[in-house]
Amino acid sequence: MSIDLDQVTKHYGGVPVVNDVSLQIGDGECFVLLGPSGSGKSTLLRAIAGLTTVDHGRIALHGRDVTHVAARKRGVGLVFQNYALFRHMTVADNIEFALRVRRVPGRERRARRQELLRLVALEGMDDRLPAQLSGGQQQRVAVARALAHKPEVLLLDEPFGALDAKIREELRRTIREVQRELGITTVLVTHDQAEAFAMADRIGIMNLGRLLEVGVPHELYSRPATRFVATFLGDANLLLARRTADGIQVGAATLASELPSGREHEVVVVVRPEDAEVASTRDELGSGFVAQGVVDEMVFSGALERVRVCLENGAALLASDAAATPSLQVTRTLHEQRAFAVHPGQSVAVGVRRLHVLPTPLSSFTACASTAGVAAALAREPLLTELAARMKTRIVSRVEPQLGAIEAGANPEAPFVGTTVIGAGTDTAHRSEWLLRAGASEVLVLPAQAPQPQRVLIHWLGEAVRSATLAVSASVLRHVPAEAVYVGILAEETRAGRPHGLRRLLDARSEAQAVHGLEMRTELRFGDVAQELARRLAESPAQMLIMGVTDLDRFAERFRSLLDGGRWPVLIVHREAARVPLSLPREALA
Amino acid sequence: MSFRKPSVLPGFGLTLGFTTFFLSAIVLLPLAALILAAASMPWNELIRVVSSPRALGSYRLSFGASALAATINVVFGFVIAWTLTRYEFPGRKLIDALIDMPFALPTAVSGIALTTVFAQHGWIGRYLDPLGIKVAYTWLGVTVALTLISMPFAVRSIQPALLEVQRDLEDAAETLGASRLYAFRRIILPTVLPAVLTGFTLSFARAVGEYGSVIFIAGNLPMKTEITPLLIVIHLEQFDYKGAAALGMVMLLISFAVLLTINLLQAWGRRRHVRAAH
Repeated sequence: MSIDLDQVTKHYGGVPVVNDVSLQIGDGECFVLLGPSGSGKSTLLRAIAGLTTVDHGRIALHGRDVTHVAARKRGVGLVFQNYALFRHMTVADNIEFALRVRRVPGRERRARRQELLRLVALEGMDDRLPAQLSGGQQQRVAVARALAHKPEVLLLDEPFGALDAKIREELRRTIREVQRELGITTVLVTHDQAEAFAMADRIGIMNLGRLLEVGVPHELYSRPATRFVATFLGDANLLLARRTADGIQVGAATLASELPSGREHEVVVVVRPEDAEVASTRDELGSGFVAQGVVDEMVFSGALERVRVCLENGAALLASDAAATPSLQVTRTLHEQRAFAVHPGQSVAVGVRRLHVLPTPLSSFTACASTAGVAAALAREPLLTELAARMKTRIVSRVEPQLGAIEAGANPEAPFVGTTVIGAGTDTAHRSEWLLRAGASEVLVLPAQAPQPQRVLIHWLGEAVRSATLAVSASVLRHVPAEAVYVGILAEETRAGRPHGLRRLLDARSEAQAVHGLEMRTELRFGDVAQELARRLAESPAQMLIMGVTDLDRFAERFRSLLDGGRWPVLIVHREAARVPLSLPREALA
Repeated sequence: MSFRKPSVLPGFGLTLGFTTFFLSAIVLLPLAALILAAASMPWNELIRVVSSPRALGSYRLSFGASALAATINVVFGFVIAWTLTRYEFPGRKLIDALIDMPFALPTAVSGIALTTVFAQHGWIGRYLDPLGIKVAYTWLGVTVALTLISMPFAVRSIQPALLEVQRDLEDAAETLGASRLYAFRRIILPTVLPAVLTGFTLSFARAVGEYGSVIFIAGNLPMKTEITPLLIVIHLEQFDYKGAAALGMVMLLISFAVLLTINLLQAWGRRRHVRAAH
């Protein structure tokens, strides 16, 4: 491996800018770090270069641990967005700078300079000053300068940002050619997905300091794992669908599922605009009919036509209700346009050729209360609206008059889908148990005006819910810039229990990392689960708890101290224990 | 038809006329009067006045102390400007404002304040005295006063130049293998050197012309702590206008020579850049 990052973390003023990033980049690979501004990608690049120290974690270049090695001894070449050429030096002096520092003899320096100038197609420009060159030429000089000392790694920080489109493309090609010719491991930081597709062998997508997904461009585009990647990498329609025994049911259509069918539940699916289709009637569709709609807007963009279709049942179908009119994006080729011309206001049948189910366990939010007013107020809670906006999902309100009345039995009229949100109050434990018994798989207990969590504590009771808890935690932490801490709790401190407990912590950590891409820290505590969690939550403000449970027996009684009075957001994940055989003694980790 | 470019400000003719008039009235005419007054003296008399041992001593002190003060100022001014432009810390704005204080104070007040502090029993003077260092009433005191009043010129000249040196330049130098010292010597210093020279020039010019703050702390012993401006005032007080004018003219000539040299140095530095470009 050329570059090996292990749990690299960097905080600025308490906020993690780079949050537990682990990544391996192979020899000669061109790796693109893609993300919106403020996602931490530049900070990560500077950390690799050694210009920023890290608070936690390890950085290795070609097997050499350089975490505490100064930038000048790391053997990297760095190219900046604004070129950062030495303006008082000629092109020749700029390129030879690294060689002069190393006291390379003049003859050798000149030979190397000529070679580099040829590489970046700037022969004969030796005696110019940077101010006499165009932006594209200046950046070529910067690339040549960064390569002069034969670095093992080339780092490019938004190198095309300051250039116009034509030159950008040209320089892109030059850099790719140079990279291939030298076979140098390259990391490029950009916010432009077209650039990422053009340059990358693999792309890593960052948001809020976390490295969300890594993969080859095609894979990431066609099978994203997260909402963020699905919408950031190209255009995407996010729809709410139901997974059933037959497949994925979206609107009127049921499409075969690529995933093995499990329990029936709500899922988020990605439909790329080019995978959607419109026709005059549902019989003329070449694919599964999803819904009837009305053409809202059309934009012509060269070879493709972009059509926005307002769906008749769009409110129920579309994952996000952020837009004023819930609509579906469809792009049509010239061929399709000729076969069936549409105009705004026209009624059309909408079909979906292909969809991709996101493995995210959190689909939508339902704010649930016993009266409409309370439910509506709950749906406006800042933490909930922020979370829903970041997840590009929606919040619906639901009135459940019997909520919390255990004696009345849990027999709601409609099943609970997605995450059910209740306000925190005096009998929260009871209400939670009622909802869980009524079939809600995820319940979020939300105190009024809860702040954005800076730390998310994770704990589960029962192995059956381990994987689901980790999946939910990973999903939450992709959308919240917080650190994740797994709190392991043993019933009481025993000499025999400690190594066992520590091993469990490590197992949990490696599973979170390998399966869910979630980097978390671990803590081991001793005592009663509810009491220890409450104590841990009370230690510092702005914490949140994600707790997995399998057994609902005496739930309210056991967790009253944790839930009643509602000082912290608690997300309860429930899965039945019966289906998964227990491989480890249940009482080992309470 | 006219191809004159429209501009917000009035036209070339008017502005050039104004510039010429203003410079003549405020700068050139008084200087010419000074030279005329000095030239109306008999030659031998003129030479006697300007080359008297007392006058020579005062030149040495005035120009020597000013050059020393300007040197101190560009060194420490650089450090101050660096701190102010590179770091964000509580009180930065306050310190930034304090830099200009010597501009605002009547120089006599600065002189009195310095004397209080550096006198034999003053706040700092009492600790220096046992070490055998006397500041007040020696050439050291003169230098301290000149440093104080000319400091803002150095800081304010270097500050904008440092702002221009982007962090990226240092980062680039570092990734290319340069040590901090090397990067400073080869990247930062060459970039800000013109500004440092300007700072030196302004500081020096201001110090040479200083009168108010020095006379309090200098003690004004002839040959030892007497600056040329004071000597001129002494001549004036004895109604020896011509002698004063003669000394003034000498100051003018030396200052002009020094400033011209620095300007030529800067021009030479710029030319070297341009030549490298072709």
